[in-house]
Amino acid sequence: MTTIRNASLVFALMGIAGCASAVPPQDLVTARASYARASQGPAATLDPAELHSAADSLQIAERSFASEGDTQGTRDLAYVADRRAQIAEAAGQTKLASSQQGQTLMYMHSAETAQANASSAQLGRANAQLEVQGQAMSSQKQQLDAERDRRQDAEKRAAQAATDLAAIALVKQDATRGMVITLSGGVLFASNKADLLPSALTKLNEVANALTKNDDDSKIVVEGHTDSQGGAEYNQDLSQRRAQTVRDYLVSRNVAADRVTATGFGLTRPIADNASPEGRANNRRVEIVVQPASR
Amino acid sequence: MHGSLIPVLATSCLVLGCGASYPVPTQPLADTESAERSATELGAASQPKAQLHLQLAHEQLSRAKAAIQGGDNERAAALLVRARSDAELAIALTREENAKIGAQNATDQSNTQKSTNARQGGQ
Repeated sequence: MTTIRNASLVFALMGIAGCASAVPPQDLVTARASYARASQGPAATLDPAELHSAADSLQIAERSFASEGDTQGTRDLAYVADRRAQIAEAAGQTKLASSQQGQTLMYMHSAETAQANASSAQLGRANAQLEVQGQAMSSQKQQLDAERDRRQDAEKRAAQAATDLAAIALVKQDATRGMVITLSGGVLFASNKADLLPSALTKLNEVANALTKNDDDSKIVVEGHTDSQGGAEYNQDLSQRRAQTVRDYLVSRNVAADRVTATGFGLTRPIADNASPEGRANNRRVEIVVQPASR
Repeated sequence: MHGSLIPVLATSCLVLGCGASYPVPTQPLADTESAERSATELGAASQPKAQLHLQLAHEQLSRAKAAIQGGDNERAAALLVRARSDAELAIALTREENAKIGAQNATDQSNTQKSTNARQGGQ
């Protein structure tokens, strides 16, 4: 509004000047142009006070020209009016640039804040992920520790079982079969019978106790063997029934049923010469084979 | 600042019309020299547009001093008003240039920041 009013005054004075002298001095022409340019620039809104001052200067120069004509005094006043208009224009540009700089800095600050927030959130997610991974590793370690403890316990119990068995039977470690406990057939059964002798029960009780201390995952095979007296078919049947009898008795003494199987081999696997009484006695036997879980 | 120029110049014109003896423009001389120093200290000499007006101010100041020496105080006063307006324009132009450089630097930094953020976002 102020600018429009000032411009109106300037143009009114220009009209007066036109009456007093046909040709205004170049300084006044330049001042008018400078003021017109300044009033259309950012000074009109960003620095109206400076522009108002320029309008005042131009009015004074116009009045001088109207009353005095093209004198040195008028040219001096026009010269100053031109500078004032340029100063107003520069002041407007200065404020515009400062405003733009301020907005840019505010934008940068906002962007930095947003970036910092995003980084913080990302860090938070990474920490949460690390925590989950840490918990998983801790859980896995606990499982591994428990497995190690269980294996160590199983190994101890197996060693103890082997020691116990060694006291009551012949125990051998076979590289391919596992631990082999050999019980004499004469101790367990009467001749041509598959029923356990009373004296055999005590020994088998001790064997069962030792086996229950053993690794729970190990497999147990009860093998029945005979000498070569009698037919092969008969001996096969007898050895199978004897193996089954021993197997059933071990199960009745708390050895897990799913761990134990029975197999009769008859006369097919002698360990001694069947020609002598001693050899035949050794061939009449029951072998309890304990296979570790990994087999 | 600028408000004081016009009465001085108007007074100069009135005195010219009367033809009476004119006092030595001591205060306008001091004010103009001060404005010229401010423009120089602000760095007007290193910026082409501002440098032109600083030079004009300096030349008219020298002419004003010569006029005072020659006893033409009236012309000296008018020259001092012109010189002071040029010095003040040199100051305004220097400030404008500095503000534009500051805005451009901020824009450059902002663009760099955007590029950096874009690279980090793409990783």
